[in-house]
Amino acid sequence: MKNSKASQLMTKYSIFFVLLVMIIISTLMNPNFLSGRNLTNIAVQLAVGTILAYGEMVLIVSGLLDLSSGAVLALAGVLSVSVYKTTGNLLLAIIVSLVVAIIFNMINAFFVANFAMPAFIVTLATQMAARGLALLYTSGQNILQIGSYAKLGQGKLGPIPIPVIFMIIATIVIAYIMNHTKLGRSFYAIGGNEEASIASGINVVKSKYLAFLINGVLVGIAGVLFMARVNAGLPNGAVGYEMEGLTAAIVGGTSFSGGVGTTSGTLIGSFIIGCLNNIMNLKGVDSYIQQVVKGCIIVAAVLYDTRFKNKKAPKVILQKKDENKEDTEKKEEAPAAKA
Amino acid sequence: MKKYLAAFMALAMAATALTGCGGGETATDETSGDVYKVAYIARAQSDSFAAWLANEMVAAAEEYPDIELTVFDGQADDAKENSAIENAIANGFDAVIVQPNNGEAQRPYVEQVVAAGLVAITTNSRIADIEGASSVDADPYKQAQVNAELALEQVPENAKVVVLNGPSGNFHADERRVAWQEVFFDARPDVTIVGEDYANWNKDEAMALMEDWTIAHGDIDAVISMNDNMAAGALEVVKDNDMYDDLLVYGVDGTAEACLLIEEGRMTSTCLQSAIDLAALNLETVHKLLTGEETQIDTDIAEVLITQDNAAEYVEMYRERGQITD
Repeated sequence: MKNSKASQLMTKYSIFFVLLVMIIISTLMNPNFLSGRNLTNIAVQLAVGTILAYGEMVLIVSGLLDLSSGAVLALAGVLSVSVYKTTGNLLLAIIVSLVVAIIFNMINAFFVANFAMPAFIVTLATQMAARGLALLYTSGQNILQIGSYAKLGQGKLGPIPIPVIFMIIATIVIAYIMNHTKLGRSFYAIGGNEEASIASGINVVKSKYLAFLINGVLVGIAGVLFMARVNAGLPNGAVGYEMEGLTAAIVGGTSFSGGVGTTSGTLIGSFIIGCLNNIMNLKGVDSYIQQVVKGCIIVAAVLYDTRFKNKKAPKVILQKKDENKEDTEKKEEAPAAKA
Repeated sequence: MKKYLAAFMALAMAATALTGCGGGETATDETSGDVYKVAYIARAQSDSFAAWLANEMVAAAEEYPDIELTVFDGQADDAKENSAIENAIANGFDAVIVQPNNGEAQRPYVEQVVAAGLVAITTNSRIADIEGASSVDADPYKQAQVNAELALEQVPENAKVVVLNGPSGNFHADERRVAWQEVFFDARPDVTIVGEDYANWNKDEAMALMEDWTIAHGDIDAVISMNDNMAAGALEVVKDNDMYDDLLVYGVDGTAEACLLIEEGRMTSTCLQSAIDLAALNLETVHKLLTGEETQIDTDIAEVLITQDNAAEYVEMYRERGQITD
């Protein structure tokens, strides 16, 4: 009895133990690791990625995803910086970033929810469009001299850097939505089994819009923080950040088959990647090797995830697989019939 | 439904064909008489230097009434860049200027340009030793060398330095690093490289590295960066830290941001790689080749070292271009 309870605890909090072990090893490898300054650095470096990861987590849980977040972040951030430079109004600049990111996510939602297009394809398309617009708007040049806008990314409130404050707020809000609201439960439901959630009266279309809306708000905030941190409007910035977000979510136990994922897991996933990057930089490990290591960790995390899920709920997996099969069969039949 | 879609696609394709192979940007309008058609295949409009160069090429072409320049975007992709070159050969251009994405990948296609009897120029960076092709470039080795020579005098004895590299395999990134090795590091065995990594030309990646390095190694005497973006990223990290007041920071490119930082005394030096000069020299070269004045030219723009002494001049240049405001 005791043993199984312990193992249950282990499985539930295993990701936390992984982080703990990493912190211990990192500290042994470099005593500076646990210094306040280093931990602050890690947190600041992770803030933007973690905020994006929450968006990805919410979407993946709902059976969706967003490949456009890095590009939309760049477009929203560049426009925001530009608005700040011309008006000097910080609030307006933040609103612009949020609005741009939300518009793009509503476009994503429109095609995904109303036309049943795969999120992968739709967000890939908006990724290209958003990056193109950012480059078009700036003619590919960095926007400089952004003045006190940079304080949002480099300033501190007391001892805590402002991006970290945004990350903490995002953590609390997303955790609340996912765990304590009907909306959060609807995300888990539609991602876990869309047919069943339709049958049980969940407005699936509306939920998908709201999932993208949440992602839009997060991407908009990330856009401001990113540009403020680098003290410039970089139209080429944040390339591949959607992958960082996805990685953190997946390492944190979010399952790509939908319906599974937590805010705390994502946060820890993000910190695992961040601590890994940090300790490898402190030890002078070449960044190309770092990429290889990160690749291995993703495979390990997903392998663990699939094994764990097989053990826990084989039925759900089987059911889902069958459904998917049916779905694809239907889709394959449809165009054939038309032709 | 499908029929409409097909019709729409056909129409869209026709429309793009009419506007010049999609994304083409024509500098001068069709004028009667002898006009040379020049295709400029840019590496990528998404890379800020390449974008600047493409804009300057268009501007420089306006000085030549007998040249009509069309810009194509290689989208940082070898396959796309190569097909853009093939399209240019097929579409009756008189000259093709190629800014390679990856020199060796574009080499056979530039050879095709030569074989088709057209004027071929490779630029930023040149593809060396193509018989019959010309080249216009900035020499990345010399660009780093002028900085490294300055560093020889400035970097204190037994200094701890960090090195920020561009993407591995990039010709300019690698050549600049070689110059630093041969001119500076080989001559200064007392200097220790405490951190070196690829920040891929990016400001944000350089920031993360510098943050970690300042913690791992404490006092750092100099940042040796293969471009200005990364140098600016390193400076962003230490800008409010008194400990790094004497930090020496070297870059290359002469971006607007670097010129400002040098003028403020925060960055040490950079070497200007002027897209304006490069574009002007490209147009001059292509014009000479087209008019038969010369048959083969390999030329470089001059390296201009920017330090606090002359930074104001270049800040002014960027102010005129609108990239720096007051």
